[in-house]
Amino acid sequence: MNCEKCQDLIHDLVDGALSREDSAVLNQHLDDCLSCADVRNDLQAIVSFCQQNRGQYLAPPNEQALWLRIRNVIEAETAVPAPATPVKRSFWPAWLGRSWELSLPQLAAAVAALVVVVSLATAVVIRRADSTDPNITNNRTQRGIGAVAATNVRDRFSQQEQAIAYWNQRVELNKERWNAQMRETFDRNLQVIDQAVNNSLNELTRNPHDEVSEEMLNAALNEKLALLKEFSDL
Amino acid sequence: MSMRMLPARLSVFRAPWFFGLLVLAALVLHPGVASAQQQMSKRFPAGNSIRLVIRNISGKVIVESWDRTEVKITATIESPAANVAPKQLRDGVMVDVMGDNRGRGDIGNVNFKIQVPANFIVDIETRMGDITIANIRSKQVRAHVTSEGDIELIGIVASEVFAQNLSGNIFFDGEVSRGGSYQFQSGKGDISIRIPASSVFDLNASALDKKLALGGFWNSGFRTVGEGQRFSKTTVDVNDGRAKLVIRNFEGGITFVRR
Repeated sequence: MNCEKCQDLIHDLVDGALSREDSAVLNQHLDDCLSCADVRNDLQAIVSFCQQNRGQYLAPPNEQALWLRIRNVIEAETAVPAPATPVKRSFWPAWLGRSWELSLPQLAAAVAALVVVVSLATAVVIRRADSTDPNITNNRTQRGIGAVAATNVRDRFSQQEQAIAYWNQRVELNKERWNAQMRETFDRNLQVIDQAVNNSLNELTRNPHDEVSEEMLNAALNEKLALLKEFSDL
Repeated sequence: MSMRMLPARLSVFRAPWFFGLLVLAALVLHPGVASAQQQMSKRFPAGNSIRLVIRNISGKVIVESWDRTEVKITATIESPAANVAPKQLRDGVMVDVMGDNRGRGDIGNVNFKIQVPANFIVDIETRMGDITIANIRSKQVRAHVTSEGDIELIGIVASEVFAQNLSGNIFFDGEVSRGGSYQFQSGKGDISIRIPASSVFDLNASALDKKLALGGFWNSGFRTVGEGQRFSKTTVDVNDGRAKLVIRNFEGGITFVRR
C-alpha cells in the first residue's frame, strides 16, 4: 500500500468502517510510515474532540460586539455610495424662518426690483384690456384687414392662375381630337366660369371685406381648375 | 305572251306602296343609318350590392328605382361608338365610360336608362349631359355634370345629396333628413329646392347676382349676409343636428318651394 491510498482510507479507519483485512493492511503501513501515522493521529484528535463537545461550543467573549463588527463589515461591503441628499425643507417655512437682516444697498436694490416688476405687470394688464375691447379691436383690425385680405386674395388668385395655365395648356393639346360639340360646350362653360371669376373680383374690388364674394371667387377658381383637369383627360 | 304581260308589270312598278318599301329598305340597309346607334342592355343581380357608379362622357343618364332586386342597365350608344362595359364590383355596379375610352376624344353620346333597387347609393358623373335620378331612398345620391346639363333629383330621401353643374338647372324634390348634408352648386342656371313645409334645416345659400327666394321658409330665422348675396342661419345653430344645406350659384337664382 502506498501513502496516497492509505490517506484515502484513513477516514474510514477512524470511523471504523473498514473490514478487518483492510484495517490490518492499513495499520501495517501506518506502523512503517510516520507521515501517514501523523495524519491518522490528527484526524483522530479532531473526531474525538467533536464527539466529546457536541453542541457545547465556546461563546465569544463579547457576543454583541462581535455581531456589531460583522454587521459593520457587511454594510461597508454592500452599501452603494448614494449622493448626499440634503434634508428638504419646504419653501415657505424656509423663507419665513430665514433671517432678513438686509444692508441699506440690499434694501434699495430690492425696492427697485419690486418697482420694475409692478410696472411690467401693469403694462401687460393694460395691453390685454385693450385687445378685449371690441371698439379698440375693430378700429385697429379694420385698418389692417382690408389690405391683408386684398393681398391674400390676389396671392391666392395668382397661385391658382399658374395651375390653371398649366391645365389649360394640356387641354389645348388634346382639344383638336374632340368633336365639335365637345369643343363648343367646353368653350361655352369656360366663359361661364370666367364670368363668375370676374364678377367675384369686381365685387371684391368694390368691397374688399365681402366674404361671400371671396368665397365665390375661390369656388369659381376651383371649378375652373376642375373643368380643365377633367377635360384634359378626354 | 310576253308583250301582254308587260303592262301588268309596269303597273306594279307604279304602285305607291312599292316605292315606299324601296325607300324604307334603302334607309335600313344604308350603312350610316345602321351604325348610327347601338343598343346595349345588361342585368345584374343586386345581391349584396348597394351602389351604382356611372362615369359618363356625354349623354343623358336616367336612374330610377324599381321593385326588383336587380340592376338593369340600358344604353343607347351613338356613333362614333364608345366602349361601354358595365362591371359588377364587390359592393355594386359600375360603368366607367370615361376610363374605358380615355384619350379617344371624339366619341358619340351614350344615353343611359338604369333601374336599381330604391335603397341603392347612386353616384353619377358626366362631362356633359342631363342627369335625372328618381325615387331613391338611400344613404347617398350624387350627381355631377362637369360642364353643361340639367340635374333633376325627384323623390329623393337620402342623408347625403350632392348636385353640381356649370351650366344648367338643378331641381331637387325630396326630403331633408335630420343631420343630413345637402350641397347644390351651379355656375349658370337656376337651383330649385322643393321640400316639405315641416323641414328643419340650417341654410348657407350664396348667389352672386342676389336672386335668392326663400319662399315660405323666409320666416324660419334666416338672415342675410353680404348685401343680400347670402341667406344664412347664425353659426350657433349649425351643429344642433339639423339638416345642413349649402347652396351656391354664380349666375342664377336660388328658389325654395314648400311642398
